[in-house]
Amino acid sequence: MAEVQQNDGGGKGKAHQKKMQIRVDFTPMVDMNMLLITFFMLCTTMIKSQTLTIALPSNEKVQNEENMSQASADDAVTIILDAKRKVGSFDVDTVNGKVVPIVYYYFGKPGGDAGIIGAGGTVLSENNNLQESEFLANDEKSGKARGIRDIIQKRNKDVLTEINKLKKKYQDGGFGSLETKDGREKAQAAYDQEASKVRKNENLKKPIIIIKSTPQASYGSLVSVLDEMQINSISKYQIDNMTKADSLMVIDYQNSHHK
Amino acid sequence: MGRVKIARKSTFIDMTAMSDVTVLLLTFFMLTSTFLSKEPATVITPPSVSTEKVQETNFVQVLLSPEGKVWLTMNNDTSANWSNEKMKMALLDKVAEIYNEQHKNKLSFTPEQKYAFSKLGSFGVPLAQMGEFLNLASQQEGQTQMDKWLSGEDENPNHVTGIPISWNSDEQRPNEFQMWMKAMRQTENSNLADKIKDGTGVAIKADQNTAFDVVHMVMDNLQTIHMNKFTLLTALKGPEE
Repeated sequence: MAEVQQNDGGGKGKAHQKKMQIRVDFTPMVDMNMLLITFFMLCTTMIKSQTLTIALPSNEKVQNEENMSQASADDAVTIILDAKRKVGSFDVDTVNGKVVPIVYYYFGKPGGDAGIIGAGGTVLSENNNLQESEFLANDEKSGKARGIRDIIQKRNKDVLTEINKLKKKYQDGGFGSLETKDGREKAQAAYDQEASKVRKNENLKKPIIIIKSTPQASYGSLVSVLDEMQINSISKYQIDNMTKADSLMVIDYQNSHHK
Repeated sequence: MGRVKIARKSTFIDMTAMSDVTVLLLTFFMLTSTFLSKEPATVITPPSVSTEKVQETNFVQVLLSPEGKVWLTMNNDTSANWSNEKMKMALLDKVAEIYNEQHKNKLSFTPEQKYAFSKLGSFGVPLAQMGEFLNLASQQEGQTQMDKWLSGEDENPNHVTGIPISWNSDEQRPNEFQMWMKAMRQTENSNLADKIKDGTGVAIKADQNTAFDVVHMVMDNLQTIHMNKFTLLTALKGPEE
């Protein structure tokens, strides 16, 4: 390929002239190309970052208390994010070089119906309805949800059953054929529309999740918990600040469960 | 019975095909990739299942180091009306205007300083030091010194990197971070202003191990100036990881 053969035109007259072969050695060219490829591979990025859109409430104080939307105690699930860090600093835990996330949750009001102060002389540690959980992926064998995801899914059962029905319908081709790319896109759009209707359906019982976070919790767990909202089709969730009651419960929980 | 003659074979390997392949690969990498932009702090964004892609143009990136330092990057339209250079110069004017409303020692920038600012990628030094910082650009090895300053490796202890930020819920007396964000909204680039309004125009980039306290401060600052919607930059993760 890289050689040109020179024919000497029959070769009768100049019988002794050797056949000339012109060969171009491409090895240096390949070397140079490889170097350039290496350069481009190391200095560039092809992965574009993903984004997660969040909306926070305005910082202004609500003047009229009646205008504040209140979550009913039945529906409210509060998730509190925390993390183990080196004592007294925001440094990463040096034991394993990673921040160990902790997730607490409670249903309804802090302290349950009794409240954290407790009527009739009960103390906080008796009323503490805070529980601990973990961020876990689905079980590999059974595909069952574990950790905080399991808890959210149990609270959001009604919506998830409907969503799963839609998913099955989508896979069976109920929203249109999945054979062609065009068909898949149409089916996906139809599915998305139906799914969003289910998520907003007022007749289904849905939890309202309030996400709170201690100062030392990691930003990664905030993103994880927002992910869980998306995975479990939660339509109502809110990032909020810790209240005094929340902090008290966390401290009480740590006192009684951790050393 | 003569010996079996072993034909002498040439060891020449034809590299043409190899060369073809490498050139193809090279072309592929050159066309598909974008260069990594130099940033003052290296952060690993947290993994997420979200598949929304980041905006290509018209967004402001807020880079947040685990220590709570903040740098900004402004990505404008590439159109002639709103070129990055032009809009950055306008941004510097705007932020100086907002700053001067509150401070006695007024800021003003020379055309050279504005030009130097328009060439910056990420930026983030206190406004009072901005002039000194931009003057470096015209000096020898100024670029290296500016990078050093931004990444906090400067020997001079007076050279502070990061935009000053603090908890502040008084909209009338914004801190410098809020001044910058306000100025971003007020440049002539209406596309950017629209994107900031609908939330896709502000992207927070922070490390996954960063304490929530630090991220919360930035979020709270944005809430105060009525930027309640924004995006968080994440890396892609499989659905069941």
